[in-house]
Amino acid sequence: MLKVEGLSKRFGGLVAVDDLSFEVPRKTVLGLIGINGSGKSTVMNCISGLYRSDSGRVTLGGKDITRKTSHDIARHGLGRTFQVPRLFHRMTLVENLLTTVLDSRRKNAELVEQAEAILDSVELHGLRHDHGEELSGGQQKLLELARVMMFDPDMILLDEPFAGVNPSLCRLLIERIQALLGEGKTFLLISHDLTSIYRLSDHIVVLNQGRKIAEGGVEDIKNDPQVIEAYLGTEAYDG
Amino acid sequence: MAISAASEERVAAIRNGMWYGLLLALTVWFALIPAFGGNLPFFFYLMLWVTMASAFNIISGFTGYMPFGYVAFYGIGAFTTAILTKKLGVPVYFSLPIAGLAGVALSLLFAKTLKLNGIYFAITSLALAIIVRLVITNMPEEITGGSFGISLGSRAEPVKSFYVMLGTMLAALLTVTWLARSRLGMALKAIRDDSEAAEAMGINVPRARLKAWMMSAFFPSMCGGIEAWYTNVVDTGTAFDVLITAKTIIYAMAGGLGTVTGPVLGAVIMVWLDDLFWQRFPLLNLFLLGTAIVLLIQFMPRGIVGSLMQRWPKLRRYIM
Ligand SMILES: Nc1ncnc2c1ncn2[C@@H]1O[C@H](COP(=O)(O)OP(=O)(O)O)[C@@H](O)[C@H]1O
Ligand SMILES: [Mg+2]
Repeated sequence: MLKVEGLSKRFGGLVAVDDLSFEVPRKTVLGLIGINGSGKSTVMNCISGLYRSDSGRVTLGGKDITRKTSHDIARHGLGRTFQVPRLFHRMTLVENLLTTVLDSRRKNAELVEQAEAILDSVELHGLRHDHGEELSGGQQKLLELARVMMFDPDMILLDEPFAGVNPSLCRLLIERIQALLGEGKTFLLISHDLTSIYRLSDHIVVLNQGRKIAEGGVEDIKNDPQVIEAYLGTEAYDG
Repeated sequence: MAISAASEERVAAIRNGMWYGLLLALTVWFALIPAFGGNLPFFFYLMLWVTMASAFNIISGFTGYMPFGYVAFYGIGAFTTAILTKKLGVPVYFSLPIAGLAGVALSLLFAKTLKLNGIYFAITSLALAIIVRLVITNMPEEITGGSFGISLGSRAEPVKSFYVMLGTMLAALLTVTWLARSRLGMALKAIRDDSEAAEAMGINVPRARLKAWMMSAFFPSMCGGIEAWYTNVVDTGTAFDVLITAKTIIYAMAGGLGTVTGPVLGAVIMVWLDDLFWQRFPLLNLFLLGTAIVLLIQFMPRGIVGSLMQRWPKLRRYIM
């Protein structure tokens, strides 16, 4: 579904992503892990067209989307959330969802009804007339997922969907993601929190300083000495 | 869900009823003013500022840009009308819409500046307005009338121009009313709140904001033309006066950017205050007006309507 080949991105002298390649087969979840600053968000921003990559090729469903604008890539069926939620602060929750379907031929009333149903499924229906800026951090994460659900792309990129979310909202998020998987969506999931990633992912890529240091199934990664070292290394550093 | 849809319709009916009722009342009132010997200049300029603030709202309140050179559209409209009417003998009723289109043409010329963000856009816009003014000032006197300006006809036609101003104000208000509920309006608000996120949601940002830019250029150009017709004279000093931009921004902000009613209310209150201070306290009028503006920004940073809505969120659904 999504294929990344030889992707590189520099910020001045800093190489944030270094010759990275991976592939996400249709209807699977690829987990992209790595400590803070390892380049995960940059990878996502390059794929979605927010950043312009320095080299490499990205294809979505066989189409080259490398040099396309962000909205073109979205139209090709790629939706995303942001690490720090980027809602439309002074629009209602319903309007936040409707922004993703402005080109739809369906009637407004029908779209509003669908938006309300989606808000209901993430337990935000009661707040549907509130503005984005009035939500708590966890609710903002939920609204971002709801917005992607309304957009209904085949390929979904989630950047740290569980960061700063309390356990019960976290469970709700995981449930929604699993439901979307059941509908045949494909995911690229970023997190530095391993438990949720291990639970959802079919395949994992580990980044360190912009480079892929390991790749494999959940069990392989759990026992990979390089991964353990990278993570233990940070924990020791944090402590 | 069915219940919610029904109450939704009721809310919309109340909101629309109040707003269109107000528009109708204002129209009837204004339309009767010339016949009843009301204060024509006061109401002419009131309508002009309502139009300016509402059109400015499209690019600013809805789309998130702050064109400090907004007066360029007004000035271009004034001169286009004067030159067409006086020098080329075009009937003023044709000159005016052409003047509106001249403003749109100018906005297309400046379209590239929409790529700039925040203060960079604002300053560039100001610089471009100064350039436009210089170009017109340095054109041959036979065309622009030089420092004396151009007088349009043998005499002013205040009543006719008053009614054209009324029609233009209504057109601007109906445009903004439509926009506020349209899909384009929703795209613009998304761009205002976060243009990169809007792009990521599949919104064609350059196309949407260009439409907003063109719309908000048309009406000030019409205003410039109508005012030229009303006063029967145009010169660069008044047609490109930076105070026109300043007043437009202040009036729109005072009422509340991003709402339909905000700029209308802001213009009405500020024009009325300006007039009141001017009559009662001729020496202190600028000081008092300045104080009113400072107080407004201090206590109602989102403008009157915007702050009320923030205080009582339920109002949002009932106020345009
Ligand atoms: N827009 C940017 N400008 C400059 N440096 C950036 C930018 N975005 C990310 N970086 C740098 O790139 C590196 C990778 O960052 P990021 O992709 O956010 O990591 P992660 O998401 O894995 O925490 C970091 O060193 C970060 O400081
Ligand atoms: Mg990140």
